[in-house]
Amino acid sequence: MNLTTALARLLIFPGLLFAVPAAWFFLWVERKAVALMQGRIGPPFMQPFFDFIKLLGKTTPQRSGVAGLLMRLWPLLAVSAAAGAVGLLPVLPSSGGFEGDLILLLALLELPSMCIIAAGFSSRSIFGEIGSAREAVLSVSYNVVFLLAIVSIAASQHTFRLEALAHLPASPLQILGIAAILVCLPAKLHLNPFSLPNAEQEIYSGPMTEYAGPELAMWELSHGLEWVAATGLVATLAAPHLTTWWLAALVFVVLSFAVVLLLSALAAATARLAIDTTVRFYWQCTLIFAVLAISSALLMRFRS
Amino acid sequence: MNIFAMLWKNLWGGSRTMLFPARPKVSEGFRGLVRFDPALCTGCAICRFRCTARAIEFKAGKGEFYWSYDPGHCTFCGRCVEGCKAHALSQDAECPPVYLTIGALKNSYTVARKPPAPKPAPAISPAAAESAVNPVPTGGAQ
Repeated sequence: MNLTTALARLLIFPGLLFAVPAAWFFLWVERKAVALMQGRIGPPFMQPFFDFIKLLGKTTPQRSGVAGLLMRLWPLLAVSAAAGAVGLLPVLPSSGGFEGDLILLLALLELPSMCIIAAGFSSRSIFGEIGSAREAVLSVSYNVVFLLAIVSIAASQHTFRLEALAHLPASPLQILGIAAILVCLPAKLHLNPFSLPNAEQEIYSGPMTEYAGPELAMWELSHGLEWVAATGLVATLAAPHLTTWWLAALVFVVLSFAVVLLLSALAAATARLAIDTTVRFYWQCTLIFAVLAISSALLMRFRS
Repeated sequence: MNIFAMLWKNLWGGSRTMLFPARPKVSEGFRGLVRFDPALCTGCAICRFRCTARAIEFKAGKGEFYWSYDPGHCTFCGRCVEGCKAHALSQDAECPPVYLTIGALKNSYTVARKPPAPKPAPAISPAAAESAVNPVPTGGAQ
């Protein structure tokens, strides 16, 4: 992948130029779908964009010292990481990539979550600290399943290159991996039933409690970009290999949209679980999945 | 799995919320804005006494009184209407309108006090009436 291709992927498609409107669109789809399933009208189409613009126009409280600097830094880091993760997705055929870009994608996908944890503790708010602690516990729990799912697919194919994984024919291990990633997505995106870190009725909005104005706008944007990156990862793994670029882009968008609808339905159908139930669920899931994934990966390696 | 059936029903069953400026239908006995009829008011100020939200203001003056009602403070509990013996207060059976300026719905009245009603003549017994016609002479006077 040369510099021009890398910049085009990062800034145009599937990078910022596509990902930012897609982030607002996915945020709207999620809110609207949940509202319709609950018998409400829901927000108008442009609402996430209006929210973003409104927040940009507000002033932020003055914060001095290192804590203030860090609080300004975390949302920017989260947006950059999420945008980078979207830019790495191999959406178009022969889009390049490099050996080991899967590892970079996993790191970038995890970075917003780390920023949220750090932001909550930096804010010195009791609600922020509780939210951050919950996010940390949740992150440790679901990431074992999430990483095992991806790494087992990669290990079975002897590659850590995303494009090679995206072009794999459908196999039981791949389906198992996609299912495991789907199980982790509600926790990664703070959706019901795993919306513990930002439980509004209990701890306001957790790590975001002390944020306002442009900084909060950046958090919202990073959350939207996380939506695009996470659903896009599932879409690229699940999409069939297509040589026409526009058809590949269309399939990517349609599959991402379907994942958003699926997650919205789950969020509307469930209530928030307690932290112990959530952790138990993911660790039990891990145990079952670990045995399945590792044994499948080993079998596939021996067969090939 | 009943929840998914419920969600599916909600998805196609239309919305229960509505967009502004549409207003929901209200049930019978709905307590809306308080209406005041100055012609019936006696100026007893029981409404002000019963209004715990301090939405009703009452100032007594010479020959007149000042009465005002601010829906911005009102909790629509209806205790003022309930306590008004002269039936000068009533409540609308519809949602209060949306307003954009503070005090836009506030109503004030300066009402002239009515002259006190003439006292009814005391009931006279037949014996007293007769004694009034033929007064009994008293010895001391003669």
